[in-house]
Amino acid sequence: MTIHKMIDYEKNIKMRSNVRIENKKPKSGHKNNRCESKYLACPECDLLLQQILAVAGDKVHCPRCDYLLHRPRDQSISRTFALSLAGLFLLFPANFLPMIGVKALGSYHDGTLLDGAFTLFREGMWGVAILVFFSSIFFPVLSIVLSLLISGHLYFNRPNRHLSFWLRTLQHIDEWAMLEVYLIGIIVACVKLASMAELKFGLGLTAFVLLLFVSLMLANNFDRALFWQRIEQLKIHEKK
Amino acid sequence: MKKNNTALEQGLISCHDCGKLAQKTIELAVCSRCGGTLHSRLPHSFQRTFALLVSGFALYIPANLFPIMTVTKLGVGEPHTILGGIVALIYGDMLPIAMLVLVASILVPLLKLLGLSLLLLCVHYRWQVNAKIWTRMYRIISFVGRWSMLDIFMISILVSLVQLGSVAQVIAGSAAATSFASVVILTMFAAKSFDPRLIWDVQNNI
Repeated sequence: MTIHKMIDYEKNIKMRSNVRIENKKPKSGHKNNRCESKYLACPECDLLLQQILAVAGDKVHCPRCDYLLHRPRDQSISRTFALSLAGLFLLFPANFLPMIGVKALGSYHDGTLLDGAFTLFREGMWGVAILVFFSSIFFPVLSIVLSLLISGHLYFNRPNRHLSFWLRTLQHIDEWAMLEVYLIGIIVACVKLASMAELKFGLGLTAFVLLLFVSLMLANNFDRALFWQRIEQLKIHEKK
Repeated sequence: MKKNNTALEQGLISCHDCGKLAQKTIELAVCSRCGGTLHSRLPHSFQRTFALLVSGFALYIPANLFPIMTVTKLGVGEPHTILGGIVALIYGDMLPIAMLVLVASILVPLLKLLGLSLLLLCVHYRWQVNAKIWTRMYRIISFVGRWSMLDIFMISILVSLVQLGSVAQVIAGSAAATSFASVVILTMFAAKSFDPRLIWDVQNNI
């Protein structure tokens, strides 16, 4: 499919799918449940829309504010499971192996990911240290662990009463895990240091870059609507 | 004439966490699917965003006035403010990196503070605007916010790496770094607490 055709296709979906509902009150009363699952509201402009069936590759936008409502992914759950497993293995080398070493006038010093936060803490800047610790270590670790827990339960069809709490937490911390910003920080720091010292890159940095790729792929593969749907199904199944 | 096409006007609430629609009730309700508290609009969105923004503006001043780090080479130290660090990068023939730092640590926080203030003004004075463009502005503001952390990360890396005793040492400026980090955090929370649906609510003829 050429690019031009793909764009056309996307436009088509946009027009066909989200027909505005004007002056049409959803039926109330006992048919409520069926009605509620048939409609959805845009999270950014609150426009009431009709739910449509989209397949992987489609992008469903809100017709009024252009918000990306839904972007289904192929095998989202199994891919999330596999990627978060890979991320779990990468967490240890990325956090504990030395990333960059500095050599100048005979003395050598190297640092791991953890050192950044701890040095600031030792220097008495505990506020910034906590912020760096949370955004570069704690939230990335937590988001990979939560992804693994959620996708594992969904993959093996195991209901758990904490599932929805986990997914809600995952959605809230998503913005605060800043591995990609940290990588740019490393690059800028290296450029500044290059003139005054010799730099050595360790295995920790390789693991860190791989971890970053895994978490970007995780975010890309995550199909929010599908995850919530499956959690609801598991809940209903458990009640029966 | 306003058409009844939003969830609020139809007496429905969309769950902020999982997107499930629910009937609006008088008392506070939780979502049947995910257990999150249901709100038609984020509670006290205007006041919260306003308070966070004012603190952000106040802290933006010390963040730029105080030196954010001191580089000591062979016993001679030179303190740098954020802007000074960028100037040093330009003199060191590293223009692309200088531009990157300029955008991430000066322009982004400033434009974010101003952009959110405009959004608040728009909601408060019920400006009739092209809501689609303003919603897009909000989306950009909430997306770029995290990139301001670049400077903080860079300092933490430099401080932990450059500890070569008397040869070279980098010391972080506590006052500037803390207030700059606070500006980033406060504006991220401000963007999070602003509800873009308010822009659409104040438009008369949509």
